[in-house]
Amino acid sequence: MDRQKTIGTMSDADLAQVLSQVRAGDNDAWGELYRQYAPAIFRFCRRLLPAREDAEDATTEIFMKVRQKLGTYDSSRPFTAWLYKVASNHCWDTLRRRRIRQDLETGDLDTLPLEHPDPSQLERLQAEHTSKEVRTGLARLPDRARMALVLRYYAEMSYDEIADTLGVRRAFVGVLLLRARHQLRDALSGSGNENFQKANAGGAR
Amino acid sequence: MNRSDGHFDEMTGLLYLEGQLDAGHASEVSAHLGSCAACSELLHALETEGVWLREALTVDDESIPASVVAAPERGAAHWGWIAAFGLGLGGAYTLWSGFVEPSLAQASSAGFTQGNLLTTLFFTGAFWKGWDAMRSLMEFMAMATLGTVAIWLLRKQLQRFTAIAFVAGALASALMIPQPVAAADMERGDPAYTLPAGQEVKTDLIVVANRAQIDGDVDGDLIVMSQYVTVNGHVKGDILGFGQEIRVNGPVDGNVRAWCQTITLNSAVAKNVMVWSQVVELDTKATVGGTATIGTQVAQLNGQIEGDVLGGGQVVGIDGTMGHDVTIRADRLNIGPTAEIKGQTKYVGGKAPEISSGAKLASPPIVSTVKRGPDYSQGAYYWHQVMFWGASFLLGLAILLVAPGFFFDIEQACKKMGPAVGFGALFLFATPIAAIIICATIVGLSVGIPLLLLYAISVYAAHIFIAAWLGEKLIGAGVGVGPAIARLALGLLILRGLGMLPYLGPVVGLLVAMWGMGALVLALHRKISPPSAVAA
Repeated sequence: MDRQKTIGTMSDADLAQVLSQVRAGDNDAWGELYRQYAPAIFRFCRRLLPAREDAEDATTEIFMKVRQKLGTYDSSRPFTAWLYKVASNHCWDTLRRRRIRQDLETGDLDTLPLEHPDPSQLERLQAEHTSKEVRTGLARLPDRARMALVLRYYAEMSYDEIADTLGVRRAFVGVLLLRARHQLRDALSGSGNENFQKANAGGAR
Repeated sequence: MNRSDGHFDEMTGLLYLEGQLDAGHASEVSAHLGSCAACSELLHALETEGVWLREALTVDDESIPASVVAAPERGAAHWGWIAAFGLGLGGAYTLWSGFVEPSLAQASSAGFTQGNLLTTLFFTGAFWKGWDAMRSLMEFMAMATLGTVAIWLLRKQLQRFTAIAFVAGALASALMIPQPVAAADMERGDPAYTLPAGQEVKTDLIVVANRAQIDGDVDGDLIVMSQYVTVNGHVKGDILGFGQEIRVNGPVDGNVRAWCQTITLNSAVAKNVMVWSQVVELDTKATVGGTATIGTQVAQLNGQIEGDVLGGGQVVGIDGTMGHDVTIRADRLNIGPTAEIKGQTKYVGGKAPEISSGAKLASPPIVSTVKRGPDYSQGAYYWHQVMFWGASFLLGLAILLVAPGFFFDIEQACKKMGPAVGFGALFLFATPIAAIIICATIVGLSVGIPLLLLYAISVYAAHIFIAAWLGEKLIGAGVGVGPAIARLALGLLILRGLGMLPYLGPVVGLLVAMWGMGALVLALHRKISPPSAVAA
């Protein structure tokens, strides 16, 4: 997976130098780091949190945390992975505080359809909806389903990272992703609106 | 394959695409794909869907706000924290200047020579004698500070109910420890208990009975919980009484502390008297060597009190000898013809005091008459409202910072107004009754008293959560602590304003107390009960 397409354009060497300067207290380096990564983190938050203002606040708070925790960053790992980890934890905490989650792993497992989806229907769905519509549909998903899709297909997180962030077993991540895809298909096609709203009302609170 | 029809299912297809299958399983799927058009088609559709999702999520068709583009300055504190700090300081100041300092000054003027009001109330009496070593307010404050720091350090764990239960348990245990039960003679009357004349209990005596008669002597403290209590013997320690009617006819070498409906003192009490009772009667034969602190509906003081008198109630009558200052806050004060007050008399009340011409007063009384209910024309009234707001804000801030998750959970529970008000009404009235019933046993006392304390804190804190909810309604739900503080401040301001309305204010107060308490109960319930599965 290539995270660079959603975040920063700095080379590894430049990034390492900027990070060491930030650690040494260089304000200009901090500004450079922020300018490189803040837009992507804002977009990430924008896809997870309900309002634009929430995403703005969250971006600021995430970078404050980043600055505080930079000493704990292990430079042998990709910086973007660590950054997304901090951001996703922050957003997930925010959502948890706002909502009382009641969905259980087993409940999700039971609801997975066994039949093959109709590939032609899937293709039609993809052709008929713009990116903006997809993101609108995404915003209507339960928190955990939305988190799973964004972590995987925007932040390009591994299954282990997603499991760690969402506090689920690794084996459950695939189930979560597939179920989220189904919910998104329902949201976009409108066919499963009733069930979907039920899941939203119960699962997302 | 995972399915009986020879094809693999969608889950297997997704895991295969995402490289999550083990090598054996993956090669099995690969082999199947070579011969199965349906599965190949499915896999292709899933793969395309993945690409489609990535494109939809990564496309940049929304501008980046200016606040995100500009890097935050180094060390720049969030505005919410600055506001919180300022408001917190204001709250602390108003709390101190409005409540603590005047209380201390009043206690000092009433002659509490052993220390201050807190010390006198909590650490000197028989009930708290285990805390004798910790007499000063400074020590208490130091402990409170340490406790706050500990809670702050454990704040993440505190968000888990088990930790809350642990802390609550520790608090209950801490309250249990000081009780001097171990070295006491415990008696349970069925239904009555009598200590016969001529007998002497060498240790403390604890009595729980329907009717208690103490004709013999008690060498230590007498702790009695009974409907009718009569003490004719000599008590060499303190008397701590809970009951309907308490009558003390024998000498007491220590203090008398009582919570009851009627108390009559006919004998000599060597130290202090502190009573909360509907009716208090100090007979002409009675003498009190120390001070008297009385909260009552009707009090008649005909005996002799050497120290200062601090009293509050509806009607207070004095016809005895008061050795020092007398401070009374009541609706009416009658000073009879045989009364003698050797110190300064201060009276704050609804009606002018009636002072008999035969009464001997060392100096002219200082009298302030006050109107019942709020006086909207006085600046002090509005200043008090600011102080109340400050106190509420300070507590809300403390809860928000120590347990933000729990605070937000309660705020969310406020949205369910119907169930919250229903549960709140139930718990608001049922909890004190249950606590008093629990207190009816000596063993239950250690549970009942913390329960009452928690109840009092909950009732007071209830309006804070409603204020947070109200603030969210008005200015929206921004993320983080900063906006939450702003919501809290605004909500409290509005609730305080509503509370000031004549007639409507108390109704709003009751509704808010029920609503907030119900939300607290609902949030606690959700924390305790396991989450339920959701149907898709």
